[in-house]
Amino acid sequence: MNKNRLSTVELREVFFTALYTKAFSAVVRYIARMGGSLEEAQDIFQDSLVIYYEKITSSPAEIIVNEKAYLLGIAKKLWLQHYKASSKHEPLNDFDTVAVTDEQPATLKILHYLQTSGKKCMELLKAYYYDELPVRDIATLFGYSGTHSATVGKYKCLEKVRETVKQKSLNYADFIEQY
Amino acid sequence: MRTSLNNIKIIDDYLSGCMPHGDALLFEAKMLLNNDLSKDVAVQGVTNKIIRQYGRQCLKAEIIAVQAKLAAEPKHKAYIQRIAKLFK
Repeated sequence: MNKNRLSTVELREVFFTALYTKAFSAVVRYIARMGGSLEEAQDIFQDSLVIYYEKITSSPAEIIVNEKAYLLGIAKKLWLQHYKASSKHEPLNDFDTVAVTDEQPATLKILHYLQTSGKKCMELLKAYYYDELPVRDIATLFGYSGTHSATVGKYKCLEKVRETVKQKSLNYADFIEQY
Repeated sequence: MRTSLNNIKIIDDYLSGCMPHGDALLFEAKMLLNNDLSKDVAVQGVTNKIIRQYGRQCLKAEIIAVQAKLAAEPKHKAYIQRIAKLFK
């Protein structure tokens, strides 16, 4: 899928609405059958949509023939991960294994800090690295005079955020281990 | 660009896989010899991970808003209510 087709909030809203009507009930039925709650089903479906979005907008984009089946497949995998991570379902012989989570607690603390103190830079970096918007669009969106200024702005923000990560990491013992 | 920004660009090129193969090998050799450089690369890698996590959070917030809108729209209200009934 062409990334430009999902480059605005409005276009993504249309896209996600279509997926809700197409696949939400199948995912919810599966979670209900597996003993999950409505809240868990909603959370799993929303995470599945995030992963699906990343798959179809990545380069090279994956070609997906059956959206509903693909989303259900992601949801099943996420549910199994969720089920295993939940301690009450953990088999006794696995009690001493450490669950591997996607994010370290320190990373989440730093992210929370950056969301409040460096929001503008985070928005710019998100536009570059997560949304992968064209530089020209980013320049317009963030009020830069041209693509060169926008690129320099990106590196300035990256430097600022990197410095925050470095400074904050000194406060969080669990982060140091990542070096 | 000033030197520090150029250094950030070089690390960015390396981490994103945009650096030509020969340059990447040379860069890896430099990292072995320069502890500060290898730490900068590690921190920038974590920074990229945080940006990705931020992107995911923002996207999920958009999805939650879509669901809330669907639940409020008359034409989809019955569909959402039928789904909720599966848990009663």
